[in-house]
Amino acid sequence: MRGITEPMDAPDAATGELTARRYLRDLAAGERRRLRLAVLAGTSAGLVTIAQLVLLARFIGRLLVDGASLAELAPLLAGMLTMLALRALALYLQETLAQAASLRIRRRVRRTLLDHLARLGPVKLTSRHSASLASQLVEQVEALDGYFARFQPQLRLAVLVPLPVVLAVLWLDWLAAIFLLISAPLIPLFMALVGMGAQRLNQEQFAAVARLSGHFIDRVRGITTLQLFGHTAQATREVHAAADDYRQRSMRTLRLAFLSSAVLEFFASVAIAVVAIYVGFGLLGYIEYGPADELTLFSGLLVLLLAPEFFQPLRSLSQHYHDRAAALGAAEGLVALLNEAPDAGRLSGGAVPAPSRDVLVELEAASVEHVGRGRVLGPVDLTLAAGDVVAVTGPSGVGKSTLLQLLAGFIAPASGSIRVAEGLSLAWMDQRPLLIQGSLADNLRLAAPDTNEAEMCRALARAGLGELLAALPHGLETRLGERGVGLSGGQAQRLALARVFLSRAPLVLLDEPTASLDAETEGYLIEALQALADEGRALVIATHHPALMALAKRRLSLEAQATVQEASHDALA
Amino acid sequence: MPSPDASLWRTLRPWLALLGQRRGRLFLGALLMALTLVSAIGLLALSGWFITATALTGLLLAAGIAATLEVYVPGGGIRFFAVTRTVSRYVERLYNHDTVLRLLADLRSRLFAVLSGLDAHALSRRRASDWLNRLTADIDTLDSLYLRLLAPALVALLAILGLAAFLALWSPRVGVAIGALLLLGWLWLTVGQARLGMATSHRQVGDLERLRGRLIEQVQGLAELEAYGSLADHRARLAAIETRLYRDQRRLGRRVALGNALASLIVGLAGLLALWLAAEAWSAGLLSGPLTVMMPLAVLAISEALAPLPAAFTWLGATRGAAERLNALEAQQPCRATADSPARLPVGALSVTLTDVTLTHADALVPALAEVGLGLTPGERLALCGASGAGKSSVAGLLTRQLRPEAGEVRLGGVALEAWPESALTSRVALLTQQTDLFDDTLAANLRLGDLEAGESRLWQVLAMVELADWAGALPRGLDTRVGEGGRRLSGGQARRLALARLLLREPDLVVLDEPFAGLDVETAARLAARLDAWLAGRTVIYLVHQLGDAIDPPGIDRCLTLRGGRLCTHGQDVSG
Repeated sequence: MRGITEPMDAPDAATGELTARRYLRDLAAGERRRLRLAVLAGTSAGLVTIAQLVLLARFIGRLLVDGASLAELAPLLAGMLTMLALRALALYLQETLAQAASLRIRRRVRRTLLDHLARLGPVKLTSRHSASLASQLVEQVEALDGYFARFQPQLRLAVLVPLPVVLAVLWLDWLAAIFLLISAPLIPLFMALVGMGAQRLNQEQFAAVARLSGHFIDRVRGITTLQLFGHTAQATREVHAAADDYRQRSMRTLRLAFLSSAVLEFFASVAIAVVAIYVGFGLLGYIEYGPADELTLFSGLLVLLLAPEFFQPLRSLSQHYHDRAAALGAAEGLVALLNEAPDAGRLSGGAVPAPSRDVLVELEAASVEHVGRGRVLGPVDLTLAAGDVVAVTGPSGVGKSTLLQLLAGFIAPASGSIRVAEGLSLAWMDQRPLLIQGSLADNLRLAAPDTNEAEMCRALARAGLGELLAALPHGLETRLGERGVGLSGGQAQRLALARVFLSRAPLVLLDEPTASLDAETEGYLIEALQALADEGRALVIATHHPALMALAKRRLSLEAQATVQEASHDALA
Repeated sequence: MPSPDASLWRTLRPWLALLGQRRGRLFLGALLMALTLVSAIGLLALSGWFITATALTGLLLAAGIAATLEVYVPGGGIRFFAVTRTVSRYVERLYNHDTVLRLLADLRSRLFAVLSGLDAHALSRRRASDWLNRLTADIDTLDSLYLRLLAPALVALLAILGLAAFLALWSPRVGVAIGALLLLGWLWLTVGQARLGMATSHRQVGDLERLRGRLIEQVQGLAELEAYGSLADHRARLAAIETRLYRDQRRLGRRVALGNALASLIVGLAGLLALWLAAEAWSAGLLSGPLTVMMPLAVLAISEALAPLPAAFTWLGATRGAAERLNALEAQQPCRATADSPARLPVGALSVTLTDVTLTHADALVPALAEVGLGLTPGERLALCGASGAGKSSVAGLLTRQLRPEAGEVRLGGVALEAWPESALTSRVALLTQQTDLFDDTLAANLRLGDLEAGESRLWQVLAMVELADWAGALPRGLDTRVGEGGRRLSGGQARRLALARLLLREPDLVVLDEPFAGLDVETAARLAARLDAWLAGRTVIYLVHQLGDAIDPPGIDRCLTLRGGRLCTHGQDVSG
């Protein structure tokens, strides 16, 4: 894994390979304008605060020292009220601008990822767990929020706001400014300290949390077994013990990690105390060197009030530091996904138009290779015309599915060529039909968006779901629950079949359509496929099933060592 | 319709009660937070007082008027507050994180206890890891209930009251006015912000879930979506959810920003009010100069207490949503009715009787079992055949009481299943499930699930029965070898045999074996069948199999019945065993 500990100018920058840091930088660059405006608003808030404190110190000085009446001071109060309102406005703008930037960035990231997944195609995605991919697209994208909405602007503000503060103090009393400036060179050190602490904290925390969640999920996954063995009470105690063990271990880390921010906190507190005591003793005339004898209530009080403002941006930054670590962690996962290159030939128009109008697809010495596994199919020659029914047979692992994927365009051939009729549409059915959350009709419209109710009912009837449809009180509008709860495996398979009927695609690709089906559904399916063939559609069926093989007019037998034999049905019979 | 506050209270109450078990720690944690805050206020207020006092004394001295000021006590006070602010902040963070982690342990074990009470159907829908991820995320949301919501709000409230009381010591008018203004502000920043964001932040939980659902659909169904050319339509559905999600987030973000701006405005206004009223009191000769300055500075320092409130409370709806989902899970727990008087259970192999049993899963359109009647005499071995989804697993679930029939009756050993005590049922009925569940632990620990007391020699003995003893013996760490998550470090066949060995450690009187030889080669299966036959002697056995005669059949079948679509086929043939 590309680590977050990597230096900024990693060699990958030269090779064009994306790193997490660079990815975050690029994303921020895309919203530069909003983020800059947010920083501008934050800086204004800082300047308004300084003005506010100047007015406050002035008010007190005039009141207590000059003995001004309240009526004389009213304009100062009005000024302070104005500054308050301006400050609130600036803070509001800072937050909303940064948030708008973060929203736009996250939306763009998700769109890019979805485009990338579509380019990778169904075959490349099979190596990844769909739940973890979904969690990347939901949680990890959302985890970028704090980085852009809070950390990025605050990083600039931590430099921009203390600067005018220290200038103001310098103007008031250079010795007090030196107190603050002594800590200034320490600021990068603080940041590094805080940063290292937070980063380490986050890394260890991430790992430990993952381990703990792993333990919990492991036990929940096997909960039925625990129930069967009467072991649940014991397992509950174990879950508690694991969480408690995690607590003890992470407290050891936390003790150190919190220390770094405590150092920052300590300097901020001590600076206030030192300034207060220095100013106080100066005002009493106890300090005989430097500018102390020029201090007044106004300047002394203002120096005191400005001291915390010098440290405040840095303290905020340390609070937002975990946002950065979280974003880096998430970005690493996303970058790893984005760095996975799609097949060069896929979707790029690598397919050449078919030579004649009757030919749907033509493979010529086409072979497929998978990274790390070498050649998994071919070379194959195959010409499919309308009305062809081809059974693809052979032992498991020989590349039957790969052939269908090649025909469907999910993968590109490594060598040889594939020619496809222009505008060819196809229907696909495998063992795990897609059921989307929505009505029965929504699920059917996947295959034909502009279909009508009558056609849908007819397709369902042909797929053997007529009886079920009649029994449903809401008919086509029946909601299929989460992940298609409500349909048995066989029913889901028939729904997929109904989609094939609806689609009117001239080429139908079926990957082991009868595996894990009960005999009744199997019978329906075979009849239905016969009907499709009678309609003149071309079928390619990867199967072991004798009845399906009998259906085929041609048979393509794949064998190990990638040799292919094609025989006409007559020759086999 | 109940008021929204009442329903919020009802939703959060069980979790607050759970927090309540650690109220000592929570109290101390809040106290540390308060101490930090008091130090911060004290540091600024005392410094302001000190500087003013020294300035005024300095002026008198400069004017040649004899004046003294005791400087060591305030100087010491300033140093004291500077140190306590740092130390108490450090200790508070450490202590409260410790508390939160303890709460996490409590939450996890409580939830696990809830899950372990769910029946098989409720669980089978909830095994997907995306659901599990969501579950852990919900727990994490709730464990911050104390640190993000309760403690800061409470400490801020106490700080406001304390500050008002402190100011009232010097000037009751200032104390009352500041107290009233800050309390109003506190109310807005907590209750007001919560109401402002409740519906929107509550919707976030559901929308994120829908987004996740659509994403999983797209990833799993990409082949069909691409083939049918409906990927763009699906992306549009996804985009619609995302648009709403982000519209809500933008709205929430604006409300949080509004709350933050208001918090700064309220504190600023309170500071100015304190300044003006104190100035009036000073003009009237009621207040000294240093105290006049101390008052607004003390008020300004309270901003630290109010700052975390708006964001936390605007998003209260999300916490509520997490709590609701976990509550819903708890509500699914069937009440495990225990028999009034413990029934007298027969000893030895158990007879099994199912009478007209019908079972429909909660979301299913058709029943999983329809009027199934079935009988086994003690010691009989039945093979129940059928395709997947025919209802075999439902029968297994009924016999282990993981599922309950909606009609009909199940009796074991002549005693109605509901009358069986839990412990007797788990010790006398054993089920080898179709899915092999191994735990991320050692070989020995996985085996001992079958018998906690089993000694090493016993473990080796059962491993030998399933032909894993040589393999395990060759492992460098032997029985202490970890099997990995879900037994991933073992091959499918090894995992299956390990699960069988685990079962062999028990002494059940009814054994249900779901595809016992799945994933095993023919030779191994044949040898295992012979050993299994001996172990099964004297026990009632039900085999759940796809069909007989394919490979190696389980040993000693007396009778065979076939399930199809949840019904027993009438032509169940007898097989002479």
